[in-house]
Amino acid sequence: MNQASTTKSGIVLQKRGLAFYTKIYFKIIVQDIKSKMSYRADFIISTIGMIATNIAGFIAFLIMFGKFPSINGWSYYEILFLYGFSLISITPTQCLLDNNWSLRRYVYDGDFVKYCFRPINLWFYYISEVFDVKGFSQLFFGIGTLIYAWVKLGLPVTVLMVVELLVALVTASLFMMALQNAAAASCFWIQNSFWLLDISLKMKDYAKYPVTIFNDVFKFIFTFILPVAFMAYYPSLAILRPDEVPVLTWLSPVLGIAAFYGSYKLWMKGASKYDGSGS
Amino acid sequence: MENIIELKNVTKEFKVLNRHEGLKGSLKDLFSRDYKIVRAVDNINLEVAQGEIVGFLGPNGAGKSTTIKMMTGVLEPSAGELIINNRIPYKDRSKNSQEMGVVFGQRSQLWWALPLVESFKLLKDIYQIPDENYNAMLKLYGSMVDLDSLLHKPVRQMSLGQRTLSDILAAFLHNPKVVFLDEPTIGLDVAMKSKIREMILELNQKKNTTVILTTHDMGDVDALCQRIVIIDQGKMLYDNDIEHLKKFFGAYRTLKIRPREKVTEAAAKLKEQLAEFEVSVTNDDTWISILVNEEKVRVMKILEQVQEILNVRDMQLEEISTEDVIKKIYNSPLESGEEVAL
Repeated sequence: MNQASTTKSGIVLQKRGLAFYTKIYFKIIVQDIKSKMSYRADFIISTIGMIATNIAGFIAFLIMFGKFPSINGWSYYEILFLYGFSLISITPTQCLLDNNWSLRRYVYDGDFVKYCFRPINLWFYYISEVFDVKGFSQLFFGIGTLIYAWVKLGLPVTVLMVVELLVALVTASLFMMALQNAAAASCFWIQNSFWLLDISLKMKDYAKYPVTIFNDVFKFIFTFILPVAFMAYYPSLAILRPDEVPVLTWLSPVLGIAAFYGSYKLWMKGASKYDGSGS
Repeated sequence: MENIIELKNVTKEFKVLNRHEGLKGSLKDLFSRDYKIVRAVDNINLEVAQGEIVGFLGPNGAGKSTTIKMMTGVLEPSAGELIINNRIPYKDRSKNSQEMGVVFGQRSQLWWALPLVESFKLLKDIYQIPDENYNAMLKLYGSMVDLDSLLHKPVRQMSLGQRTLSDILAAFLHNPKVVFLDEPTIGLDVAMKSKIREMILELNQKKNTTVILTTHDMGDVDALCQRIVIIDQGKMLYDNDIEHLKKFFGAYRTLKIRPREKVTEAAAKLKEQLAEFEVSVTNDDTWISILVNEEKVRVMKILEQVQEILNVRDMQLEEISTEDVIKKIYNSPLESGEEVAL
């Protein structure tokens, strides 16, 4: 294995692997958070806004589902579980991939070219520029809701269950990141791609519900076309209904990795096609 | 000397949809496969040695930026061979960036919210610059500009001049073999322009860095470039130094005469009587300008003639400026370069 290479000027370069990228990422995040804190008013207001959005969403949820003891065989606390689950699994998308929302603008203005000159992975370099701290507020909300539902459902707390939960959460996160990433990458081909990104955001709202409450057409779409059902439903079945776990649940971690990798490849393909017009 | 940049018959074509007018036309465009090929860069050959400063000139849309983008690996050429630093730039673009520095116009590549020093530290990690090289570079920067006032300022709070300066410093930080500067002095005041030119020149000399520079500012060219390349409509029109450029386009000088007679009548008279010398006579409200090609006739001879025809109140002799030459090239293709239209 070629672990290090030497430049012409005689500098020994380490291979840029996972350790290298993790180190760089944390350095950038620390700086980014520091600088965001310096806009204090902006930081506080947006955090309050995020918390308020979560509370409002939660109350709407309570009002809607409080009236029914169960929907299509799904109990109130099971649905609450899915709700908390989906809030947690959207957090990585929110925190890590926030800069994807600006991608469209950079591409049209021709500003995207400025990301193309660094000797590191282009996707990483672009994504690492922004870390959205606000995403944490819904993480805490999600964790609270999930624990509450867990207790109310009387689910046991075993090592196996916790591992299953973590795997399920990672899987769901991968699907959410994949969808947002692919939607953002569409701007490399499509002029007005904002609606795609917007739809990808709305999809997470559908992710909260068990896919069986939708009719067959939507069930098919949400399972095989837009992977909404994988964003909470299939992964959490392993915990909620351990007796009736479908094959798709067992496959979902692999599918999640594949979906995320696919979206990354799509993004990179778009970026390599980019010609930075207008300069 | 070893060539750091080599372009052989490099061509870049873009496929552009032929757009139709009106609502009906845009509906047609939706399904249209009616593309035309636009050749942005047409068969360019270029060799640049380590340590040279080369100025890229040409009107807007001439293909300068496209050429630079190919050299930096952002674009793949449609045809031809392109080697930078012994590598093909568009293959494994991220690896090749290690020994390049790029400053693209007003698009800052620094982290917007961070103080400059933090951007530098991140770049140090990204490019894996050894401590001693990094410290030596900062010391060198400190000797050239007032670094302390910049280092702790977030980039977003900087003036355009400070930001450009910082971007250029950042581009040289990892001591690259070649630095591409796309219109580095655009929008800056005179003092900042000259500061940035001095800085580029010093870094080029101290580090033997090759600099490729595009600009519309003749000041940049005169201050920095031993060699210039002129591109128009994707074609390379000229590649040599500035002195040759002036000679290449004729040893032109402008003789300006202020007559005691009425200017327009005097000019008409001159035009008629100087016809045999093949000079071009133009005039404004007070001056008559006579453009003389000294390879054909000497200016002093013309002046003698003029004195016999007119009553000269005042006279001036002007060398043709680089800017005039460039303007002339932009306005007329090389083939008809003999025609004088100043």
